[in-house]
Amino acid sequence: MQKSYKLSILYYLVFTLLLISSAIILFEHKIGFSFTSVLEYYIGNEEKFIPAQSTLGILKIILPHIFVFGLISMVLLHFIVFTNHREKKATLILIYVTFITAILEIFTPILIVNGFEFFAYVKLLSFFLFLLFIVYISWLLFYSITYD
Amino acid sequence: MKFTLINNIQNDKAMSLILKGFLVFILLYLISDILVMNSYFGISIDSVAITLFGNEEEYLDPMNEAAFLEFWHTQIFFIMMILLTLNAIFIRVANRSRNILTNLLMINALLSLVFLPLAFYLSASFVALYIITFFTWHIVAIYMIFYSFWRLNAKIV
Repeated sequence: MQKSYKLSILYYLVFTLLLISSAIILFEHKIGFSFTSVLEYYIGNEEKFIPAQSTLGILKIILPHIFVFGLISMVLLHFIVFTNHREKKATLILIYVTFITAILEIFTPILIVNGFEFFAYVKLLSFFLFLLFIVYISWLLFYSITYD
Repeated sequence: MKFTLINNIQNDKAMSLILKGFLVFILLYLISDILVMNSYFGISIDSVAITLFGNEEEYLDPMNEAAFLEFWHTQIFFIMMILLTLNAIFIRVANRSRNILTNLLMINALLSLVFLPLAFYLSASFVALYIITFFTWHIVAIYMIFYSFWRLNAKIV
């Protein structure tokens, strides 16, 4: 790979970290990181004047995220193909779990508002796991570009 | 990103045309971005400051934190995707100054995205730095578009 492309990808990784940081701040500000706060955000709380969300309302919010999560995952994962990790079985597992956690993160709110409150835990877990996988993929790319 | 592997893009008329079309769209996005920012957020120090902090004399409310964070989050995503694709085309067709311009573009874009929350949360003095870096990366990006367009029309790339 050309040095200029490597430079470009390194900057992309920095942007990715910035995007993750903004996602964590936004999640903390709008929803919160506790089981109760996630539940309240989606199913509402009359005492705190928090309105409940509808399935269609959630669909409107997640619509751009469906495309964005897929795109970010695809772009980062496809760079892995250019590294030494391409042939490893762990890379295939990483690709599977990244896309699966992204899907869980996006669609669990629909289950929460339809009575499956347990999925508030899944929402939180998948949010952090997805970000963790993105950071891990970024680290793999950074390491490959810098040292391999 | 198949175009990064083609040896002579100029001879590949279909790929050359696709890239030119894409460059036109990036240019339209950047121009529209400035126009929309001018209308809804501001592109001068005073107008950005009024959007972020409000103005008591004109009874204008400051931007609320949730709206700001959503705006910032969206900006990061669009900028990173646009600059990655634009830069990939530029690197493929440019002969020299690739690293200098890549650094100039990316560092200014990153700084503009860092100065924005610093202005909102820490100090209004970061607004000026945000405006400077915002325009710098837009100008560099527009230069890259025109340069790439010109190179794609050259005989040998």
